[in-house]
This record gives sequence, C-alpha cells and structure tokens, in this order.
Amino acid sequence: MDFELSEMQQMVVDSAERLVTAETGLDQWHARRKLTDGVDPKLWVKMAELGWMALVIPEDAGGLGCPMEDLALLMIELGRGLVTEPLISTSVLAAHVLDRALVSERRAHWLGRIATGEVRIALAHEEPHTNGTIGVSARRIEDGYMLDGQKAVAFDAPSAGYLLVTSELEGTSALFLVARESTGIATNSYALIDGSRAADLTFASAHVPSDGLIASGAAADRILNEALDRARVALIAQAVGAMEVALRITAGYAKERQQFGQPIGKFQAVQHMAADMFVAAYQARSALYAALRDIDGDASKRARSVAMAKVVAGMAGQTVSRNGVQIHGGYGVTDEYVISHYYRRLLVLEKQYGGIDLNAAKLALCEAEA
Amino acid sequence: MNLRFDERDEAFRQMVRSRIAQILPWDISDRHRRLLANTSHLHDQRRWFAILDAEGWSVPAWPVEHGGTGWTALQRFIFEDEMYAADAPEFHWIGSHMVGPVLYTFGSKAQCDRFLQPIRDGREIWAQGFSEPNAGSDLASLRTQARREDDVYIVNGSKIWTSGAFEADWLFCLVKTDTQGKPQRSVSCLLIDLRSPGITIRQIRQINNEAHLCEVFFDDVRVPAENLVGEEGLGWTYAKFLLDHERTTSSFIFWIKRELTRTRELGRTVVRNGRQLIHDPIWSGRLAVLAAEIEAHEWSVLRVLSEESSGFPITAAASVLKVKGSEIQQSITALQVDALGEQSLRDYGAESLDASTDPIWPDLYQGRTSRALITRAATIFGGAQQIQKNLLAKLALGL
Repeated sequence: MDFELSEMQQMVVDSAERLVTAETGLDQWHARRKLTDGVDPKLWVKMAELGWMALVIPEDAGGLGCPMEDLALLMIELGRGLVTEPLISTSVLAAHVLDRALVSERRAHWLGRIATGEVRIALAHEEPHTNGTIGVSARRIEDGYMLDGQKAVAFDAPSAGYLLVTSELEGTSALFLVARESTGIATNSYALIDGSRAADLTFASAHVPSDGLIASGAAADRILNEALDRARVALIAQAVGAMEVALRITAGYAKERQQFGQPIGKFQAVQHMAADMFVAAYQARSALYAALRDIDGDASKRARSVAMAKVVAGMAGQTVSRNGVQIHGGYGVTDEYVISHYYRRLLVLEKQYGGIDLNAAKLALCEAEA
Repeated sequence: MNLRFDERDEAFRQMVRSRIAQILPWDISDRHRRLLANTSHLHDQRRWFAILDAEGWSVPAWPVEHGGTGWTALQRFIFEDEMYAADAPEFHWIGSHMVGPVLYTFGSKAQCDRFLQPIRDGREIWAQGFSEPNAGSDLASLRTQARREDDVYIVNGSKIWTSGAFEADWLFCLVKTDTQGKPQRSVSCLLIDLRSPGITIRQIRQINNEAHLCEVFFDDVRVPAENLVGEEGLGWTYAKFLLDHERTTSSFIFWIKRELTRTRELGRTVVRNGRQLIHDPIWSGRLAVLAAEIEAHEWSVLRVLSEESSGFPITAAASVLKVKGSEIQQSITALQVDALGEQSLRDYGAESLDASTDPIWPDLYQGRTSRALITRAATIFGGAQQIQKNLLAKLALGL
C-alpha cells in the first residue's frame, strides 16, 4: 500500500489539472446547455489525444493498461472541474463490457475505437417502473433478434453512436450491442440538472443482427456488474474531486462575505458547518480508496466495498453540497454562483448507477445473509 | 498510488494472530469480553503486558533501543487490530503512548532508566493530569502550581477527569511553574508519585456506575526536581509533541471494529417480531450504513498513518479521526442499545459478573448499555467535539 503518486499518475493528474483549469468554469458550464447532445466535440478530441479514453483499456487491445487507481486520480481531477463529458460511459463501462464479452479481432476493433475517442457507447439498463411501461425483452428471429420494450434514464445516450442494451432473452439475461439509430429504436433525449444528457429509449420490433448479442446468462450478469462497479468507482472519484473544490470555494466565500461587521467565517456556527464538510470530504476519499482496493478482487467483496463507498461518498456529498449552499446564503441557490453547480453535479453523482438508499439496502441484505 | 495490501503484511497478520492466540490467557480474554465497564481490569492488563514484554511486543512503536519492535506503522496497526479482535486488554496508553515517548524524546537518561522498563512490563501504571475544574477544553487556564524550593517542587492545586488515578502509580502532570509569564511559557511537566504525602484522590461515580475518573488534590506535595521533564516552561511543547506523535489513537478504530463485530452478533442473537433482528430492515439498514462509515474511517486512519500528502495539514486529518471516531463510537453503542430494546434498560451495577446461565440475559447483553452511557464522553474528552471543529475550521480551511 502506497499513497504516493507514481510518475505516470502524476502525469495524468497534471494534464487533467491543466485541462480543467483551461476548459471549465461557469462559462463552459453555461455553454454546455446549448450543445445538442451535451458533448463538446473539441474537448472530447483533446481528452482522447491525452490518452484518457485508453487509460484502463488493456495494452493488448491498444490501451495503456493502467490500474483503476490511475483512472480514479483522473476522475478526481475531472470532478473538480465538473466535467460531464461521457468518459465513464464509454471508456470505463462500455470498455470493460466489450473487453470481457468480445474476443480477438472484434475485441481489438471496438476497444481500439474507444481508445482513440472515435466512438461513444452508452448503457441502456434501467427500466421505467411506472404503470403501463414494460422493460426490454428479446426474441430470437431467423437472422438475429427482435427487441421490444423501454429503457429509462440511459446516461449519455443522446451523444452515443452505440448502445449496450440489457434484456431478457428466453428466461435469462442478455447483453446487446446495437447502433443507436437503428430502425425501431426511438430516443427521447433530455438534459439532467448538471447539464449532462440522458434519454429514454423505446424499442419497437428493433432488429439486432446475430452478432449483436455479445453476452448472455450468468456471464452477461457478471460482466455488467463488474463494469457497473468500475463506473461507480469513477463516479465516486469525481464526487471526491467535486467535494474538495466545493469545500475550498465555500471556505473562500466565508472569509470574504461580511455580515455584522465581520467575515461570516468568524462565526462558530459557520465554522462548524465548514468543519463537517471537511470531515465528510475526507471520509469520501477514504471510502474511494477502500473501493479501489477491492475493485479487481473477489466479486462479492468488490460489490460490497463499492456499495459501501457509494453510501459514504453519497452522504458526504450531501453534507458538503448542502452546507456549501447554506453558507453561501441566497447566492447559494443562484445559477451565477459556482456552488450551485457543484450541488447539482454532486446530486447526479450520488444517484447515478444507484444512490445511497439503494446501496444501503443492498448492504443491509449482505448483513442479513452473511 | 497503489492501494492493495502487500502479501507480506498479510503474512505478518497471520503471524501475530496465531502468536496472540498462543500467549493470551483464556481467562483474561474471557473476562475482557464480559466487561461491564469501559476499561480493562488493571490486574489483567498488568499480566498481559508482562507477557507481551517477554515477547518483545509491549511497546511496538518505541525505538528499538528502548524496547520497540521496529515494525512499520502499518504492521503496528495490524498488531493492535489483532489484539482487539482477540479480546486482549488494551494498551495502558498513557504509559505506552504518552509518557514513554515524551521521556525517551525529552527526558533525562536517569528518567529513562528509572521509568521505561516498568511501563514496558506493566509494573507501573500511569495517569495523566491535564484537565482541571476550570480548565477542561481550555488548558491555557491551568492553575495547579509548582513552586521551586531548592531541589523540590511544592505542588498545590487539583486535577479532574484523571482516568484511573486511584489505581495508578504515577501521574504525568502539567503544572504552572511561573505565575507571571505568558501561559505558553509558564507550564511544565512533572512526574508525580501518586503515593506522595499531600495527595488526595477522589473517585467520581460516573453515568454508568463505574468510578474510573478521579479528582486529584495536591496539598504541599513535594516532588523531587529531578522529576521535571526536560526544561521548565516547555510543558506546552511536550504536550504538542504528544498530539503530533499520537495522531491515530483518538480514532478508536480498533475499539470500533470490535464493537461492530459485537453489534453483528447482537443482530443474530436478538429476536424481534419472530425473526432475527438482522432481518429487520430498519435496524440492518442502520448497521449497514455504519459499517460503511467504519470501513471509510479505517482507511482514514491508514492515510494518516502513512502521512499521505492531501493538500491539507496532517493535523487537520488527525482531527478528522477524532471527530469521526467519537461520532461512530456513539452511533455504534446506540445501535446496540436499540437492538436490546427494553432489555437495554437493566442496571447491572458496577461489578463484573460471572458468565450468564440465564437464557433471557446472555453475556452479550451485559455491558452494552453501560458502554453506551459512558461513550457519551467520547465527544467530550480529549478536546470537546466543538473545539475539534473550531480547530478544523482553522487548520484546514483557514477560518
């Protein structure tokens, strides 16, 4: 165990820091709202050129083969600048699925396209739970499969060329890789509160060729869970970065803002809220480290550590962002003050791929079944 | 950054685990498991430290020339973790974690020769005299005075919240040696024999029936001048050294992990609404969240131990351990009390009990509430939670 950064890690952090300093801030976040699909194409290319999409892709498939610690360090930096480009969907989640589900040339082909930033892939997994909606199921036809049903809140789907679709197939799980603009797939895109995009997808007799089925049964479940856990770790890392900046912004504001003839940071009531933010942010980073230790290990241990980290980082994010807004007073709830952007992003990071409640329930079940 | 545990560390854990299992007497761990109070039996503690001393393991963190082990910080962490997991008595930490390090760093050779060995083998037990009736979290208003007369100091005044003074041999005591000067330069550190004439000790009965905390009164107590640590007026420097030296003790991480194990046991022992409590969604949800916090807390300790450079002062990180650690101590004991429901309300008194033969009242139930009651002090001693937060706002955020 070693907390010092390696040369490679320091390089990743430095390059990310430079990009975040140059390319993020209120103007960029406001401009993001006007983008058609939530992605700034120039920024995307820059990130690809820096090798970030290739970071955790294995070397034999054209990637850099770096460990998850390196990815987490990159994500912390991106979290600082509230970067919402769909790096996690494509180069963490989809990259892992395709690495494990595909073989030989086809694997190299897809991972290579991810590594160069040429393709974006989104996961369509969550299904609507309201009355009158149905999840996705597939049936075998002569030259492939037919998909019907709906997916909800597929993160980053509007800018993705391809979708990883989870489905029921003949009583078991299946994972399909399909082009998003195939016949029979309708995309209903919308913005999320942090400026990123998601979509609901409706499959109506959508035809998928035979090789579109990339995993099924227990293998599909296993691969998806591994990939989701890696994506969760990346989200937690972004949250850690966002928290640490929100903390500094808030402390800075408390030193500047004068009321009753002194900076509000001189009031103990404010100091204690700020101290709680610091404690929370520190815990969140510790939780991230715990998850990283187990990310490549035994499946049940991994799932548990990641769920624990999602709970701790989620709660910490709430403490940091809520106290941050409170200390900013009225300005805290305006769009002009960056703290409100951190608040919104931290809420997304908490909820994405399962929030506090969901993970706490999962952990409670582990306790009962232990 | 590489966060995987080293195989060598895992091998070390196995080694200390099996050795502790061999040398820890069964009756000691059995008594320790059934403690009503929050502190180990002194007699057991002495026995256990004599055993550890023979093993060369009683003061792992000390320099090798003073009897330390030469283990890395992580190995010491693992050792203490295993000690708690085995229900061994705790370190008598005032001696091993405070007085020892101060003496071998600032004390005279004569003091080292006289005091270190009896700390190592548990023969002499130390208490710490910092707080006074009017100087709790605010140590700058100390009043206990030591007046120099030839080769003795005459000490007058009183201390309060002195844990275990009634059964300790020596007191590590902050006194004012200068009543005129600045508070920072007027405090000194004296080693006081608790059997000296003029000392009166009163035990304070606590919220949980224990009477471990004491008041110590000094009435013209004569302390040989050779018992002054280092220089006169540098008491603060030494106290600050201690705080810097012992960054992770206040995390109570091992204590917390042991209580987590107990809480899980309770979840399987208690039956509510016809099923094991662990299947009650509300209670097990609380347990799950707390376990997650504890996992993160443990990693916070590892980060501080390894002196991770976080962009914030390490003293701020150490304060996080204190704030979070005391919060978790209270949450986990509260969860135990809630597990027992009405059965948590029984007053067991203060004396240790024999193993229970009554199926209504398993051993595991005893002491849970007593611990929870005294754990309210976790956010009070060692600098109240509010003081810690003031400190954090200043250290970490410059407020």
